Amino acid sequence: MMDDLSRRSFLKTSAAVAGVAAWSRTAAARALRGVPLRAGVIGCGGRGTGAARDLIAAAPDVTITALGDLFPDRLARSKAQLTQAIGPQLRTEGREFSGFDAVAQVLATDCDLVILATPPGFRPQHLAAAVAAGKHIFTEKPVAVDPVGVRSVLASAERAAANGTAVVAGTQRRHDPKYVEAMRRLHDGAIGEILSGQVYWNQGGLWHVERTSGMSDVEWQIRNWLYLAWLSGDHVVEQHIHNLDVANWALGGTPVRANGVGGRQVRVDPSYGHIFDHFGVELEYANGARILSMCRQQDGTARYVGEYFVGTRGTSDGSSWIRGSPAWRWTEAEEPVNPYVQEHADLVASIAAGRPLNELRQVAESTLTAIMVREAAYTGQVITWDQILASDLDLMPDVEAFGTMAMPPVPAPGITQLNRPPFGYAQESPAGGR
Amino acid sequence: MITPMIAALLALPLQAGDRATLEVPIPGTVMNLTLQRVPAGVEIPAFWITATEISWDLYDIFVFSLERGTVPDGVDAVARPSRPYVLPGDAFGHAGRPALGMTFHAARTFAQWLSAITGQRFRLPTEAEWTHACTAGANDTTMAWYGEKAAGRTHPIGALAPDANRVHDLLGNTGEWVAAREGDSLVMGGSYRDAADRITCSSSQRQRPFWNQTDPQLPKSRWWLSDAPFVGLRLVREP
Repeated sequence: MMDDLSRRSFLKTSAAVAGVAAWSRTAAARALRGVPLRAGVIGCGGRGTGAARDLIAAAPDVTITALGDLFPDRLARSKAQLTQAIGPQLRTEGREFSGFDAVAQVLATDCDLVILATPPGFRPQHLAAAVAAGKHIFTEKPVAVDPVGVRSVLASAERAAANGTAVVAGTQRRHDPKYVEAMRRLHDGAIGEILSGQVYWNQGGLWHVERTSGMSDVEWQIRNWLYLAWLSGDHVVEQHIHNLDVANWALGGTPVRANGVGGRQVRVDPSYGHIFDHFGVELEYANGARILSMCRQQDGTARYVGEYFVGTRGTSDGSSWIRGSPAWRWTEAEEPVNPYVQEHADLVASIAAGRPLNELRQVAESTLTAIMVREAAYTGQVITWDQILASDLDLMPDVEAFGTMAMPPVPAPGITQLNRPPFGYAQESPAGGR
Repeated sequence: MITPMIAALLALPLQAGDRATLEVPIPGTVMNLTLQRVPAGVEIPAFWITATEISWDLYDIFVFSLERGTVPDGVDAVARPSRPYVLPGDAFGHAGRPALGMTFHAARTFAQWLSAITGQRFRLPTEAEWTHACTAGANDTTMAWYGEKAAGRTHPIGALAPDANRVHDLLGNTGEWVAAREGDSLVMGGSYRDAADRITCSSSQRQRPFWNQTDPQLPKSRWWLSDAPFVGLRLVREP
């Protein structure tokens, strides 16, 4: 397309003129003018809509040119919210799509960039399609819910790199100046070799959607995607991935094995699907370092989200202080950088500079780390990296229409197998006897 | 058996002109809320104010509907906040510390809930009431968690010496929501993160965008501020 080509060549020249190449990951997010990209949103829930707002905050000359969501009501709500939030930067007339082919329709438009923010189970196929369509990508985390999905994403990562496609992931701590600075110092040896640590995401419960008459199983499950492992990966994958990503970042690699516990203790009503409400899993890294991972979604319990590392010569929270050499404390600005905007600023700047960021392998590895943690708790077994990377576990059913869909069984340590049919064995009795 | 004399004694605190302390039991809980009397000032009648900032212990009861037993008329009609996602002050500690990070709307709704459940008339202080309470109590920085002494976090309510009216932590710890003129809202008194120049009875801040910038959702929560762990509340009771 001529439009597309001329826009891209404009970007190349304007980047040099505007000095965008001087972009720095630790610079405060400031509006990046003169980059007239066109962006489509795939998945228009609260996060996809929020990401569109954040993209425009980062680069005010970007326009949102297409919206796609499975549900017409969410599409309409997102459009109304964005009309209020970004006004003239929303130009989606004739490019608003709902239903199961909304993704393909958004990708068929002439947008340069897509925001992928549907429930994570769909992400591997959306990433593959977006890379094939030559779109730059902002992808929410996690990028898969099972090892089969992760391997697909790893293939997409290579293809994106070969094509010069930019991919930034919603692991926003990677774009948060205080984490970036702390990690630089940890990697410079400020606490020596990291030997152990803890990472946490403990909080209360989240929203869920009541079933209304006429709502099919598929619709109910997708609207309540948090509570179905095939859609969210369980909260350990959907949410705690942030802290596991920080652990991988600090340790400079992925863990070699996981061993731990988890269960469904308080949030047991079937309206909350079949996932667990707490996990506590130990990860071992190649140098022998042990990281304890703990996450919980139980109302009224102590909330804490953070990380802590112990090295041979000091300790650190990985983001705001180091007791070591040199000791260090982050000084927060009066108005701190918003990492949810900074990640888009970094993405757009990298496109404009012709040096596309590609975080897809990194976020795929952190996704697989979280899946390994989940599977250690689900199965009650020690799960190794090689095992999880090679596993044929595929939680995704074929979903092409609204209709009936079974509820997967609640995992049971000692019974649940790593390589399993996700909706249970046919011979299992409804009462769950065996 | 409750004799008329005992009944009169029980009723005394609610009408006493010169009693300075009131204990209000919170129905359906084992908690009391302590109120202190602030004497009248220029164009401000005397009023009761909570002796401390509202603690998480009480705010959680509101958020998670933890009160037990018979619910008085009107309580069910009061909206409750959404469940908190994660708040930047979560690492400060919880039990005994001031509730924080609520929006002005949530703070006002909390007062409505407390009024419904106790049958008494609680509300946020006005800016004038708050400032009067602060100056009448002769508050100063020795009674406040701020700056280096606070070490970047909130501290348990009522841990420092009270002011002349036996009210704690008006200055520092968390800032406190007040209703200002013409529907405006302000946060008074400075907080743990401020230097001494903001720990004064006239220190006020209007909500700024960065107080709620990292809520990644659109729309943002109407109940919680994602980046304002320095905002809390206390209430006044009408006579």
